[in-house]
Amino acid sequence: MAFIETHGLTKTFTVRKKREKGRLLREKTEIRALDALSFSVEKGELVGYIGPNGAGKSTTVKLLSGILTPDGGSALVDGRVPWQERRRHAAHIGVVFGQRSQLWWDVPILDSFSLLRDIYRVPEAAYKRRLDALTSALQLEPFLRTPLRLLSLGQRMRAELCGSLLHGPELLFLDEPTIGLDAVSKLALRDFLKRENAQNGTTVLLTTHDMEDIAALCSRVMVLGHGQKLFDGALNNLLARYDTSREVNVRYDGEIRLPDLPQGCAVAREGADYRISYAPAQVPTAHLLSLLQAAGPIRELTAQPQSIDRLIAAMYREMDL
Amino acid sequence: MDTLKLYFRSMGMLLKSQLQYPASFCMQTFAQLVMEAGEFMAVILVVDRFDRLNQWMAGDLFFFFGIMSVTFYLTEIFGRGITGAFPGMVRSGQLDTLLLRPRGVLTQVLCSAIDPRRISCIAVGTAALVIGSRMAGVRWTAPKALALGEAILLGMLLVLGLFMIEAVFCIYSVKSVELVNAITYGGRSACQYPIDIYPRSLRVLFTVIAPFAMTMHVPAAYILDKPLYGWPAWTAFVCPLAGAAVFAVMYAVFRRAMRHYRSTGS
Repeated sequence: MAFIETHGLTKTFTVRKKREKGRLLREKTEIRALDALSFSVEKGELVGYIGPNGAGKSTTVKLLSGILTPDGGSALVDGRVPWQERRRHAAHIGVVFGQRSQLWWDVPILDSFSLLRDIYRVPEAAYKRRLDALTSALQLEPFLRTPLRLLSLGQRMRAELCGSLLHGPELLFLDEPTIGLDAVSKLALRDFLKRENAQNGTTVLLTTHDMEDIAALCSRVMVLGHGQKLFDGALNNLLARYDTSREVNVRYDGEIRLPDLPQGCAVAREGADYRISYAPAQVPTAHLLSLLQAAGPIRELTAQPQSIDRLIAAMYREMDL
Repeated sequence: MDTLKLYFRSMGMLLKSQLQYPASFCMQTFAQLVMEAGEFMAVILVVDRFDRLNQWMAGDLFFFFGIMSVTFYLTEIFGRGITGAFPGMVRSGQLDTLLLRPRGVLTQVLCSAIDPRRISCIAVGTAALVIGSRMAGVRWTAPKALALGEAILLGMLLVLGLFMIEAVFCIYSVKSVELVNAITYGGRSACQYPIDIYPRSLRVLFTVIAPFAMTMHVPAAYILDKPLYGWPAWTAFVCPLAGAAVFAVMYAVFRRAMRHYRSTGS
């Protein structure tokens, strides 16, 4: 039996529209946030969970953490039904919502941590050990006595992470943890998560829009759209399906006339630069280069793979999300 | 025991964070004092004009005012999570974070807010109680002290229960329903005066539906040696249980409602 297992998980929300003029009652529409979602996650896995806004990612997290009750389907996390045993379940999981704080705004974060210790009934010795490990790993020592409201976004996120790991959860849900962070903070956060996963075997479900998070952390990725699972597997396999075109930037010495390129090549001109995108499967790169070289003296040439974001955008487009 | 400890530790921390802004705290506490003193002044003016309401003399009326004031504002200090903060917690999604912890929801809601500014209202209420019982010539006995304590304690449960009606509406609609204020704040204003001065419909409302009369007026009248409707002394100890009953019912409703909670945003 897998650590997390869901079968046909379904959740519908009724949304009342604004009343239209001349109508007595407001119209109601049903939104299927999750539509028969099934998946399983093994213990110790680090799974990326992506999908456009409104795909149902947060709903999944809320169901699996016991905040919401589904309309249909089943889910077991380590043998528990989250929404039926919310309190017992809560003691074993940690959740970080990137846009929502669970610490207390006006008090030093150390006070917040010690209140969390009481809430989770963490024994004093275990708390001390855990707090030491986390504060040094997350470099929180300098601001343990600073109120949360005076911390920067990056420091705050680290404090949140520390707070959600104090009780040593076996499962960690992260909902957009790197949102709004600078490059240094992002990298530090990723390193920390990797280590936490490797050392403590914490299972992590990471929801994000930042594809670099996924690329850096997750061996496995699930794509969600319209409440359904569209892909489940290695990130590379996902990308390979959409990574079909390449781009070449060329700059020539002096004015030249670009020859007619084979079908499937698109050319865009920006000043002296030509940007040519092509599909290597159709037009071999050697062939394209020989055509470009024949056109005139090349000053500069760069080739680059497509950014992951573009690939994901292409994927969402194709899947009609 | 563990839960109580958590409650008091949370209160301590919230108090500390409120005192981070001392000037604002002092000013607001003073504003509360002016407000509640104004309310008391209104009662004094009524007494000045009419001398008595039914069989109630000035001291009796001050006593009724005091018991309501102390009860209501004690609830607002210690039950702020329910009496004021809850709608905001639903709207902002803070309730979600409470659900992620291995503790009861109501416990955590109560642990997440405190309103110490009301201390000045309680000062006014206590003054009214003392002045009232002096003027009415109350001879304090152990049963009377017990009746007062019970009335205040169960009265707090009643007020908490009534505010939970609004909380339940919030869970379903995410909006706060001001209509419920009619029996919470409305009840406080109306039941500063003894129930028997009101017409029948209001008497029913505040005896059966929002039983302020049962929890506070029956014991208060007993303490003043002017039993309400001539009821025997033991009613002063039994009737207040209506407050606990309201709380128990609303607690059950609240728990049911939480199962329908639908959360907001991501």
